[in-house]
Amino acid sequence: MMWLTWRQFRPQAITALTALAALAILFGATGPHLASMYASSGVASCQGGACAARSGNFLLAVSGGYTVVFMLGIACVILAPAVIGVFWGAPLVAREFETGTFRLVWTQSSTRARWLAGKLAVAGAAAIAVTEGLSLLYGWWAAPIGQAARLAPGSNFPLGMSPFSLLAFDAHGIVPIGYAAFGFTLGVTAGVMIRRTVPAIAVTLVIFAAVQVAVPLAIRPNLFPAEHATQSLAANFSGQQQVGGRGTFSLTVDRLDSQPGAWIYSSRAVNAAGQPVSVMPAACVNPANGDSLPCLASHGIALAVTYQPTSRYWPIQWTETGIYLALAALLAGFCYWRVGRRLP
Amino acid sequence: MTAVIETEGLGKRYRRLWALSECTLSVPAGHVVGLVGPNGAGKSTLLNIAAGLLAPTTGAIQVLGAPPPARPAELAKVGFLAQDAPVYAGLTVAEHLTLGARLNPGWDAEFARGRIDWLGLDPGQKAGQLSGGQRAQLALTLAIGKRPDLLILDEPVASLDPLARREFLEDLMEAIAERELSVVLSSHLMADLERVCDYLIVLVGSRVRVAGPVDELLATHHLLTGPRRDPATLPAGQQVISASHTDRQTTLLVRTSEPVLDPAWAVSEIGLEDMVLAYMRQATGGGRRRVPASQLEVGK
Repeated sequence: MMWLTWRQFRPQAITALTALAALAILFGATGPHLASMYASSGVASCQGGACAARSGNFLLAVSGGYTVVFMLGIACVILAPAVIGVFWGAPLVAREFETGTFRLVWTQSSTRARWLAGKLAVAGAAAIAVTEGLSLLYGWWAAPIGQAARLAPGSNFPLGMSPFSLLAFDAHGIVPIGYAAFGFTLGVTAGVMIRRTVPAIAVTLVIFAAVQVAVPLAIRPNLFPAEHATQSLAANFSGQQQVGGRGTFSLTVDRLDSQPGAWIYSSRAVNAAGQPVSVMPAACVNPANGDSLPCLASHGIALAVTYQPTSRYWPIQWTETGIYLALAALLAGFCYWRVGRRLP
Repeated sequence: MTAVIETEGLGKRYRRLWALSECTLSVPAGHVVGLVGPNGAGKSTLLNIAAGLLAPTTGAIQVLGAPPPARPAELAKVGFLAQDAPVYAGLTVAEHLTLGARLNPGWDAEFARGRIDWLGLDPGQKAGQLSGGQRAQLALTLAIGKRPDLLILDEPVASLDPLARREFLEDLMEAIAERELSVVLSSHLMADLERVCDYLIVLVGSRVRVAGPVDELLATHHLLTGPRRDPATLPAGQQVISASHTDRQTTLLVRTSEPVLDPAWAVSEIGLEDMVLAYMRQATGGGRRRVPASQLEVGK
C-alpha cells in the first residue's frame, strides 16, 4: 500500500522539493551577506538610545532588494498551507473519484481505510515538513531584520516590528505546522465530500481563507488575557497623535518602551488618576514650540496600554498550533470514517 | 446449486431515483454468467454493490456466502473490473503489476507478467497512453492476477471497438480456462456475451426476466409460425414470450419444456440474441402485444 501511495505522491513531492530548493538557494545566497551586515551594524551590542539609530541605519542599508525577499519569504510561508490544501489535499481522493480509479484500488485485497490512512500519513507528513522547513529557512534568513525592526521605531519593515505582527506571526515558529496540517486535511475532506477536484479546490480555498482571517482577528487575541500598563509620554514617543478643534486630542502608541515587540491591543491617553482624557488642559493648547507632549506629560497625562507581553509568544504559538492540529485530526478522522464506509 | 451472488429485494436509491429496486436473483457458482439488460436495468449498480463499493439502500445480498467484501481476506476473493476499465494514467504497465503484487497477498506474478508479454504490452508504457482495448486488458490482468474465486466484470467491452471486443472476450476465455473461477459479466448487448457465457440472466428494470443455462434456454424456447390464431388457445405448458401477427400468419416465441406437437406450427430454433430481445421488449412493453405483469415473472 505504501508503495502505491508513495508512487502516486512522487510528482508532487518532486515539485515541492524543487520549489523548496529554489527558495533555499535564494535565501542561502543572500542570507550570509545580510547576517554579516547585521553583525557589522552593531545592533546586537547596542545599549539604550543607540539601538534605535543603529537599527534604523541597518534597515535603511538593507532596504530595496532585501525588502522584496523579506516579503516574498513571508508570502511563501503563509501561502504554502493553502497551496498544499489545494494541490495535494483536494485532489488526493477527488482525483480517484473523477478518474474512476477508486474502483480499481478499493477492490484490491487491502481495505480502503488503510489506503486512506497511508495517503493521509505520507502527504500529510510531507505537507507539514515542507511548510515548517520553509518557515525555518525563512526565519533564519529574516532574523536580523526582525531584531533590528523591533528596536527601530517606525521602520521600513512594519511586519518585523513585533513577532505578533499579523503576517509575521503566521510565518514563524510552529504555527505553520498547524496551518499545513489543517489546510491539507481540509482539502482532503472537501475532495471526499464533493468528489470533484475543481469544486473541492474552490471550497478549500474559501474555507481556509475564512479561517485564516478569523483566527488572527477574533481568536488569537483572546487566547490569553491581555495585560495593562501605563507608559509616560517620553521624549521618543512612537505613535500617532491627533489634535482636533477645541483642544480635543487622541494619542496611540505602536510600541511599549518597556517591552519592545509586545503585542499592543489598544492605547489611549489617561490622566494622573487613570481616567481617559480627550481634551487637553488649556495650557497645552497651542504650545510655543508646536509640541504639546511635554506639556501633557507635565500635567500627568500618560498612555494606558493594553498589550500581550512578549513572553506570551510561545504559549500563543503552542495554543494556536494545538487548535489547528485538533481541527486537522477531526477532519482526518471524519475522512477515515467516511471513506471506510461503502459509498451511499 | 450454490450461488456466488444471491440477492433478496435488493434496492439502491440515489436521492429520489431508484437505480435498482426489489432485485432478487441468484448467480450460480462455476459458470460464466452473462448479465444482460438494457441501459438503466441496474446491472452496474448491482455489480458495484456485489464488489463492496456501494451500500445498498434496501434488501440483502450475499457474495460467496458472506456480505460483500470489506476485509482484506474477503476482498482477495473477489476480482472486479469496473466499467471503462479504470487504471492510473500516470503509472506504467509494469507499475500496475507492482501495484497488484503489493496490494494482493495471493498475487500471481508469473501469470500477470506472462499475460502482459503475450498481449504485447510494453511494460514501460504509461497506462494513460494505452488504447481502450489495452487498458481493459491491463485491468483484467489485475483482476485475475489476484486469484479471486469470483470475477466480476462490469460492461468490460462496452467502450471497445468490435475487433477489440472479440479479442478481449477470447483472451478472457483463455485466461479463465484453467482456473476454478466463477465469472459474472454484464453487457447491454447479447452479441457480446453469446460467445463466452454458459449461463444467462436477463435483467430489465431491476427484475430478472429469464435466467438459466444457455443450452437449456435454447432448448426450451421455440419460434412457432403458423396460420393466424389467438395465443390464448395454446396448451397450458406453452408460455408466450412474444407474439406478432400479420393478416394470415402468427409468429410466437414460446417457452416450454415439452415438445411442440401441434402440426399447424412450423417450429424453428431461435438465437440467443433474438430471445433476449424478445424478453427485453416484453418487459418494456414495446412488443406488439402487451403481456400481463403476472406473466413476466418467468425463469429463475
